[in-house]
Amino acid sequence: MQFQPIYEDGELIMPKLELDLSASPSVGIITDLRRKQLLMEQLSRESGNYLSWAGQNEYMRLTVEELISFLIRMSGREERAAVLTDYFALKEERKVRLMQLSSSKRVYVTLLRAFFAHQSTLVLEEPYFYLEEQDRRQLKRILDDLSQQKRILILTSNLEDALISCDVIYRLSGSGLHQLDIRDSEEEKQEAVKQDEANITLQKISTKREDKVILFDPPEIDFIESVEGSILVHVGGEHYDCTLTLTQLEARLLNFGFFRCHRSYIVNLQKVREIITWTKNSYSLRLNTGKEAVVPLSRSKLQELKALLKL
Amino acid sequence: MNISYKRASAIFVKDYKEFSRNYALSIMLLFPILFAVLFKSAGASLPGAAGFLFNSSFVLLTCFAQACLIAEEKERNTLRTLMLTPATTMDVLMGKSSLVFVMSTVVLAISTLLFGYEPANIGVFVAAIVLSIVLYTAAGTICGLYSKTLLDASLSIIPVAFIFMGAPWGAVLAKDYPVFGVLDYMPSSQLVHLLNLSPAGYSAGEVWPPLLIIAAWTAVLTLVSVVLYQKRLRDE
Repeated sequence: MQFQPIYEDGELIMPKLELDLSASPSVGIITDLRRKQLLMEQLSRESGNYLSWAGQNEYMRLTVEELISFLIRMSGREERAAVLTDYFALKEERKVRLMQLSSSKRVYVTLLRAFFAHQSTLVLEEPYFYLEEQDRRQLKRILDDLSQQKRILILTSNLEDALISCDVIYRLSGSGLHQLDIRDSEEEKQEAVKQDEANITLQKISTKREDKVILFDPPEIDFIESVEGSILVHVGGEHYDCTLTLTQLEARLLNFGFFRCHRSYIVNLQKVREIITWTKNSYSLRLNTGKEAVVPLSRSKLQELKALLKL
Repeated sequence: MNISYKRASAIFVKDYKEFSRNYALSIMLLFPILFAVLFKSAGASLPGAAGFLFNSSFVLLTCFAQACLIAEEKERNTLRTLMLTPATTMDVLMGKSSLVFVMSTVVLAISTLLFGYEPANIGVFVAAIVLSIVLYTAAGTICGLYSKTLLDASLSIIPVAFIFMGAPWGAVLAKDYPVFGVLDYMPSSQLVHLLNLSPAGYSAGEVWPPLLIIAAWTAVLTLVSVVLYQKRLRDE
């Protein structure tokens, strides 16, 4: 899949891109609103793509069941509406008109059109953004089933949304596509790092921002993230660059109640509010910082975390 | 261009449910019947009442309903997702138009009976009415395509109402201002001529020109609406 470069006012907004969708059935692209629109525009010109826009609306006066049977007839499928309503977990809502559904459910029902698409590639813009947790889980299940036969491309501005159901994630910026390293830590070699004796007394984590060195007390830090090789320390919704590696930071912060929950994440356990279970082997941690922050949790790390928290 | 009966009927059923549950729109079905009752009590002496009844019904019901059906789909962005289904342009247009056609036929039949209009030649009358319904459906499609929301659609009907409903009246001025003679070629004026055929007797020369003019209008507007529909959707 290729994208043409786009200039605006003489400035390069999007370089020429080449995206390989065959590597994984579900690919996520994290980028901003403008670039999402530009991508959608280019994708809509190809006939093999099904597109689901974020602001999509539905026939509000139909009931859920009527809408599903309409979509079945339009797509020429053979299934019965009742079977699919069960599959979509909408049994209780089947006689409810769309306009009377909760807003999260309404968006969920709108997204179901993707299920009926005959195109081989499904492009979804911000599918999870407006959904409550229950509906996110249902949509993830449906998308996982769809990805057996189709390729799914998710455009979002939120890493956590992309992590829900994408195996390969790219970040798109003015300089191009960069693949995020989100492999689970089990593949990683456990390097035994000798602790530097001199560093034990140093309790501050030093970060850099615009040539200033900022020191943080470990308890202040919400979580630490590794993005494209650079280490970002998140404090109160802001992030700061750090020159240490995650392994060094992990060793240094172990005694402060920090936990390596993912190959590219270290989280402050004092700030964890909730363990979200997406499916049997996909988890996230929600933090109780002022801003909504969710950090992925590797499957392999779950047992370790449970032991730590004495669950 | 192939039409899938299954998909067109799915759109028909879907639009019927949507339309019947949107009372702000479906109340328009009552207007022709209301007019029929009003004009009947006013007496058959009122000249041009039958013409006004039919022409206003076409604009207020056929044209308005079609414009709203299309504009509502555009407002909710569901038209572009319809494009992503296997449904073709003709499936969508046929599904919607057939709903409007059925509604118009039923309501006009009722109001004709209530009004007590007796056509000179039932065959010519039915042909003229059917052609007119198709014509105003096409006009409604064009209105709907030029509007972005339901509100736009109800406003875009106004020029159609002026041009088509007013034409028979404007044609009266042709004696003083020859320019208005053009209005006599509007389908609504021609329909009035057909409705005014005397039951006692009429010549073929009185029947064929109006019918052909209406048919020409129908063909042109239908073609324009289909082409415009495809062009508009490609632009979005």
